Amino acid sequence: MNKLLSIVSLSVLFLWVSGCKEPVIDEGVLPFSEPATVDPSGGNWRTIVLKSTGDISVPQPDAITSDAYKSEFAQVKNGVASLEPEKITAINYWAVGGVTRWNQIARQLVAKYNTESGNPLDATNSPASAPFAARLYAALSVAQYDALVVAWRAKYQYNRPSLVDQGVITRAPVANVPSYPSEDAAVAEVSCQMLAYFFPNEAPWLKTKAAEHKQSRIWNGANVSSDIKGGEAIGAAVTTKVVDRLKTDRFSTANDPNNTWTTLLAKAPYDVKWTSLIIPTRPPILPLAGKVKTWFDSTAIAKNLSAAPPATTSASFQKDLTEVRTMADARTRDQSRIAAKWDDGTGTYTIPGHWNMITEEFIHQYRQNELRAARTYALVNRALQDGGTACWATKFTYFVPRPSQIDPTIKTATIISNTPGYTSEHATFASAATAVLLYLFPDEATTLNAQLTEATLSELYGGTSFRFDNEAGAKLGTAVGTIAVESAKADGAK
Amino acid sequence: MRFIPFTFVAIVLLSLARQTHAQGLVDGFMRGDRKANLGISYSQETYDSYYINKTQTRDPNLGTVTSQAVNLYGSFGLGYDLDLIVSAPYIRTESNAGYRQKQEGFQDISAALRWEAYDYKFGKARLSWLFAIGYSMPLQNYINDDLIAIGRGSKNLDGRTMLHFKSGPFFLTGQYGYIRRGQVTLDHVVNYYDPDQLNSNSGSKVNVPDVTELIIRTGIVTKPLYVDAWFQQQTPYGEGTNIAPGIPFPTNAVGFSRVGATVYLKVVGQLGLTAGYSTTLDGQNIGKSTRVTGGLVIGRIAR
Repeated sequence: MNKLLSIVSLSVLFLWVSGCKEPVIDEGVLPFSEPATVDPSGGNWRTIVLKSTGDISVPQPDAITSDAYKSEFAQVKNGVASLEPEKITAINYWAVGGVTRWNQIARQLVAKYNTESGNPLDATNSPASAPFAARLYAALSVAQYDALVVAWRAKYQYNRPSLVDQGVITRAPVANVPSYPSEDAAVAEVSCQMLAYFFPNEAPWLKTKAAEHKQSRIWNGANVSSDIKGGEAIGAAVTTKVVDRLKTDRFSTANDPNNTWTTLLAKAPYDVKWTSLIIPTRPPILPLAGKVKTWFDSTAIAKNLSAAPPATTSASFQKDLTEVRTMADARTRDQSRIAAKWDDGTGTYTIPGHWNMITEEFIHQYRQNELRAARTYALVNRALQDGGTACWATKFTYFVPRPSQIDPTIKTATIISNTPGYTSEHATFASAATAVLLYLFPDEATTLNAQLTEATLSELYGGTSFRFDNEAGAKLGTAVGTIAVESAKADGAK
Repeated sequence: MRFIPFTFVAIVLLSLARQTHAQGLVDGFMRGDRKANLGISYSQETYDSYYINKTQTRDPNLGTVTSQAVNLYGSFGLGYDLDLIVSAPYIRTESNAGYRQKQEGFQDISAALRWEAYDYKFGKARLSWLFAIGYSMPLQNYINDDLIAIGRGSKNLDGRTMLHFKSGPFFLTGQYGYIRRGQVTLDHVVNYYDPDQLNSNSGSKVNVPDVTELIIRTGIVTKPLYVDAWFQQQTPYGEGTNIAPGIPFPTNAVGFSRVGATVYLKVVGQLGLTAGYSTTLDGQNIGKSTRVTGGLVIGRIAR
């Protein structure tokens, strides 16, 4: 009888265990809080693509004493009292911050479309490589920022009181700023349209997201529908201006449709020329991405481009080659970990996306409002894109081989990027982003410098670049980041 | 969810492995009270094509992947109806094309308790009903997110039941089990894309899909000789992912069916030799591998 009991209880336990299915990934929960500042003078901050906020006119809203407003207001106020669970989920999702959420959505889409190499069934270069992603993140955050500066200007010009000041208790915390036009609607519209420009196939999904974002503000008790309409109009108008810039930034030919890179390769002033290490070989990733129009002073950036690296016959090259080989032969577990952590290859947010993720942590930690968050992203992402552009310009000037091309016994911890190694893209992106983040978050220097060091060395640990690739990349990135910081100092914020 | 393994462990501490045991860690033969055997084996497993989901593919940048393993295995009779089985492998995996670094190290230690719950006799034939529960955990912090990783790094709990029939030298064993696999931490943050994912910043922890396992084994056993043929099928339980750029390998739903055979020959005294062969019939997110094994056994392999 005892035996029977044990069998029964074991079977029950067995069935119980097998009855629980797990999700693939556990999601963290982001806390939300009221922004630390409201930046009432934000409407005077310098815009990026717009010549001034005057480029876009925002009509005067109805007075709060008007019948139209009263009826809108009553609807919102009554709505907050009775919310279905799915509405609460939407409120909580977007209350984390529209700028942040759309940046996350952008990163997820980049990861989805960033399928270059890796998968042998798909032998084409990815449409979403690092230069593509850097440009997308920059365009998105610039558009968000310009739209928000326009929104802020109108907010404090018309001063329609916030709903909180009119006695509405919001479900999730909001910035107490004038409610017209809605900053969230501006962000939702501009983000949705910008991302649809980059990923036209995702347009229907993006529209659903944007509609939910806008609606969540009404459910939350933060905005009435005319606030939303005002914001929406700003978003649409700014998109047009940013898309105009994108059409003339020379990125459309970055993938080099006429294969001019082979001519550049023949002319390259380096003694051993780069070849693709992928089997079968493929054209490099976006060979002309170095010619893309920069966001910051192009003359200043051009002055900082890297000089020629040491020739393969030089003693200093041989020293660096020996270093990579020695490291690859006895790679520690920690070196493999660092290489993997910063790899950001196919199927990921890419390297610029990784730095957006790092930026997001600080935006949260410092409880930046929507406008300030957008400024942070716009600065970091323009520096990232310009850093990438300068890096690509260098790569496709010198065509320096990767270590494994010189010595095939060098095994790598990560897949070798299908681009010349000099300068290292990891080091360049990391230094450009860190220079800006150090300016924005000076108290985080310890954390930031630790990350910078790891990211800069990651390719050396992984066996995919030489120390001189990293050092030149770090120098180049820092130079571009510094140019970005100088520009930031004069944009009226702070 | 995490308290379930704890409950299991609290009942009794034990275990069971995968991968290195082509035919499962536990068979239907009880060791016998205070009897023991100890085996050391070398195996080599190769594949030059693998399954992305269930589509067979080759990657010229990977070439042929070879895994060599040295495995220590022991079983001890704690009582006439209770055995303890322990195993630990050292593995080296490398590919012959491209520039991937080889992976090498101790994989997972596994231990299982096997209990013969019922024993029926029909004349000279015997039918026994057995249960086993096992636990396995990585022996070291090896790389778990790579196409040629030596393991997935999860801690696993395994529960299974077996029916074992023996008549004269002939035997037939069927077993069915469920392997619960714990979370693993990757070296990087997950960028996995899922439209239903609420927060994209999900950190580095991912879940490894659980599997169910069916093994059927038959053969003959005499004092100096043991021969078997077996079929093993692992099926992912729960959705999991498929091999693709950026998808963490541990989250892939892994399944396969394999067939194989084992031979044991007693050489002298307590010493015997074993040899084995197995091949993959089909799979899901796994290499289509073939394995050969050779080993030394002290004490009988089965009785």
